[in-house]
Amino acid sequence: MTTGTRRLAEAAAAVLAGVALSAAAAPRPLDAYLLMRTLASVQTASATFVETRYSPLLKSPLVSHGSLSYRRPDQLEKLVVSPQKERLALRGDRLTIDTAAAASREIDVGAAPAGIGALIEAVRATRAGDLADLERNFVVEVTGTRDDWRLRLKPRTADVARYISAVSVWGSGARLQRIEVWEASGDRTVTEVEEATD
Amino acid sequence: MTNAARARVAAWLLALGACGAWLYGHLTLTTDLSAFLPPSTTPAQRILLGQLRDGAASRLILIGLEGAPEDALARASGELARRLNASGEFAYVGNGAAGMGSREQALLFEHRYLLSPAVRAERFSVAGLEAALAETYRLLGTSAGVLVRATLPADPTGEMAQVLRQFAPDAGPETRHGVWFSRDGHRALLVAQSRAPAFDADAQRRVVQTIEKAYAAMRPATGHILLSGPGVFAANIRDTVDSDVWRLSLLGAALVLAILYAAYRSLAILAVSFLPAATGLVIGVTAVGLGFDKLQGITLGFGVTLLGEAVDYPTYLFMQARPGEALGEALARIGTTLRLAVLTTVLGALAMALSSFTGLAQLGVFTVVGVAAAGAATRWVVPAVLPVRPDLPAAGRGLPWLDRFADAARHARRPAAALVLGALAVVAWKHDRLWDDDLSSLTPVSASAKRLDRDLRAELGAPDLRYLVVARAATREAALQASEAMAAWLDDAVRRGWLAGFDVASTYLPSKRTQEARRAALPEREVLAARLDGALRDSPFRAGGFAPFLLDVARARTAPLLDMRDLEGTALAFRVESLLVRNDDGWNALATLRAVSAPAELAREASAHGTEFIDLKAESNTLVATYKNQALRYIALGLACIAALLAFALGARGAARVMAPTLAAVALDVALLLLLGKRLSLFNLVALLLVVGVGLNYALFFAGRYADSADKRRAQRAVAVCAGTTLSAFGCLALSRIPVLHEIGMTVALGASLALLLAAAFAARPA
Repeated sequence: MTTGTRRLAEAAAAVLAGVALSAAAAPRPLDAYLLMRTLASVQTASATFVETRYSPLLKSPLVSHGSLSYRRPDQLEKLVVSPQKERLALRGDRLTIDTAAAASREIDVGAAPAGIGALIEAVRATRAGDLADLERNFVVEVTGTRDDWRLRLKPRTADVARYISAVSVWGSGARLQRIEVWEASGDRTVTEVEEATD
Repeated sequence: MTNAARARVAAWLLALGACGAWLYGHLTLTTDLSAFLPPSTTPAQRILLGQLRDGAASRLILIGLEGAPEDALARASGELARRLNASGEFAYVGNGAAGMGSREQALLFEHRYLLSPAVRAERFSVAGLEAALAETYRLLGTSAGVLVRATLPADPTGEMAQVLRQFAPDAGPETRHGVWFSRDGHRALLVAQSRAPAFDADAQRRVVQTIEKAYAAMRPATGHILLSGPGVFAANIRDTVDSDVWRLSLLGAALVLAILYAAYRSLAILAVSFLPAATGLVIGVTAVGLGFDKLQGITLGFGVTLLGEAVDYPTYLFMQARPGEALGEALARIGTTLRLAVLTTVLGALAMALSSFTGLAQLGVFTVVGVAAAGAATRWVVPAVLPVRPDLPAAGRGLPWLDRFADAARHARRPAAALVLGALAVVAWKHDRLWDDDLSSLTPVSASAKRLDRDLRAELGAPDLRYLVVARAATREAALQASEAMAAWLDDAVRRGWLAGFDVASTYLPSKRTQEARRAALPEREVLAARLDGALRDSPFRAGGFAPFLLDVARARTAPLLDMRDLEGTALAFRVESLLVRNDDGWNALATLRAVSAPAELAREASAHGTEFIDLKAESNTLVATYKNQALRYIALGLACIAALLAFALGARGAARVMAPTLAAVALDVALLLLLGKRLSLFNLVALLLVVGVGLNYALFFAGRYADSADKRRAQRAVAVCAGTTLSAFGCLALSRIPVLHEIGMTVALGASLALLLAAAFAARPA
């Protein structure tokens, strides 16, 4: 037997073994339910983020950064450090907005303008693996594998579609890595998320 | 029938016919409360009444949905709002969805250069544009960036944000699932403003039915709907009137008929005995109609109450006629007493008829003319129609216990006197808690309905309706300018912490002067384009992306100013209409205030700026108190006239004999009401007037001198039958669920019984 044919045989065996193995373990292809279950297993998470707005109206992209923290099931806080301090805290349906310019405001997330409310809800629901909540505002589609997935969100209501054309979230396992928002205005914002390992 | 009798009946029929014909053509009944109030009221009170009558707030229906999970209530709220909007019966329906509807958003955006307080010439200079662009860039980097970006090409200076900033963000109720909720989350809240006016009870009933039908058509699995507001009250009152009043009136009438039939055993007499009261009603209404523009609904109600006395007049005649005696002869015997019975009431009400208060004057005229006409009908028409009294076989025989009672009452003078002294003590003890001056007590609305209204109002965070700042002006434009001036100093007051916020009409509809100034501040297109290029040079924005801005500004320079027609059908029109009120003297610009913490300072500041700070609660209480005090003064004057008349006719001792038991009955009546935990309102006052009227009659007939004991017995029985009918009719009203009717019924039933007892004890002469 030549080395060539031996390699081929080994490869064939490996493939066969792989097929046999996968048949035994029966891993389903990644779907929304599976992804959501994985995401839902996370109790707390914290991350830093860098958000970049690409706009035809801007001479150069607008970059902001800060941190995100999450506690299961419905608390999410977004802290913008630069270019200016801002804090968005979602607790259940209550959204608190603190800016340097105005006094702290607590409102129902449903009462927030669709652009702001739906976006923060989308991030929280994704992080929480809450498919029902996501599907309230968006049509959800999942592609990729467990280790490299992409969640696509298309707005369901005209209110949301007025501001947002599509959202994509990329991740690996239970981690979020990147959020991209295509705004109805033609702008795109890309948020690179760096989740800290616990 | 003699010729003279025929002539009398013909004259009577002619008079009634003429009155009827005139009324048919001319009678306008109004439920407008303001006509019932003193003309000397302050402008503040006129505003209050205007608001009550046809202010936008009076057309507001507050809706609560409860009894289901939060999300189900939220869905129901959205669905109900959609259906109500589709019905076309509402000028505005709000449930908090997305704060402001897309229609309002679009309207504000279109007119942003006329509405934004930031629009000044400097803002469109190169430096001004640079500053505005820098601020917009800053906002683009926040979570609101997506919103800022959506309108960036058309609105790079952020005028829309400037417009929205003026709208109080926390004025509304709490929002959950995107719609208004009570703070505890148990109740979804909506408001709907009907197109129909609040005082049109039939229209309001249709509106209420529309809401109820819309809700029922949604087939909610669980939960129920709550409605409140002036229109709902009007509709409910109408419904209650239909069910309650008719039932109780029929019951009362049946009892009265039964008593009278038991006394007369004759249908003919029964029929004739209602002629005087009916005559009094028709002629009284005609007199009011001739003397005044419009007949007050309240006058009619009160007047009919006071006319209750006239039903007694024929009873006195029929019951006292000797067997086989012609009524004319009986009249010759009792005529003097009957005349006094009529004249005391006429004189008592005469002072009121001269009052400067339209409402009181109407009531006085109605009573004077109505009672006089009823007395005249008893004197001249009844004997003509029914010349020889058919024998009353059992009139006396059925009531021997009455005679024993009348005798026994005389022996109970001491305990009765002690009771009256006790009553005076109670009245003296409670003298500071005697009156209820709350205007809301005058509305025939049940306490539970009022509570619901208060709860919904509080939950909806409708502005504190207690305090208002008002500026008066001759024209709408001047009122809007005044509104702008008010906003300026109120802004300062908010900064000083005197109040949390305020709402003025000019926020939604600036004055023409202001709009023109803003329009004039917008540069020509080429100028603006050049300046924008200059401002963009060192900005983070690229040139060339702002064509929509140049176009919109150019358009705003020539577009017509924003006016009320543009706002029609939106939440904005609703706000403007509630805050800019037209009345007879011109326009009033109102500012509603939220969470007032320093009313005294605000009042001082308001008057320093030529505006008025109004405490509506205090104003309405003063209004009612003024009215009541005037009424009391006229009643006292009336009582003095009655005393003078009686002293003239019967001598001082005779007058005292008649008046003392009646006034004692009033005192006891009041004391009992107070002991029952009630306070006296205008309604009680009118009821007490009737007690005085019938009580004097009882005492007059008890105190009369009679030829023999049979005549005296007949007089006593006549009084007893009169008291019996009054007690039945008003006792039935006391069963009513409508507070007003209950109060009147209770006061009169109690007072008439007491007047009877005390007249028997004190007025009757020893056998």
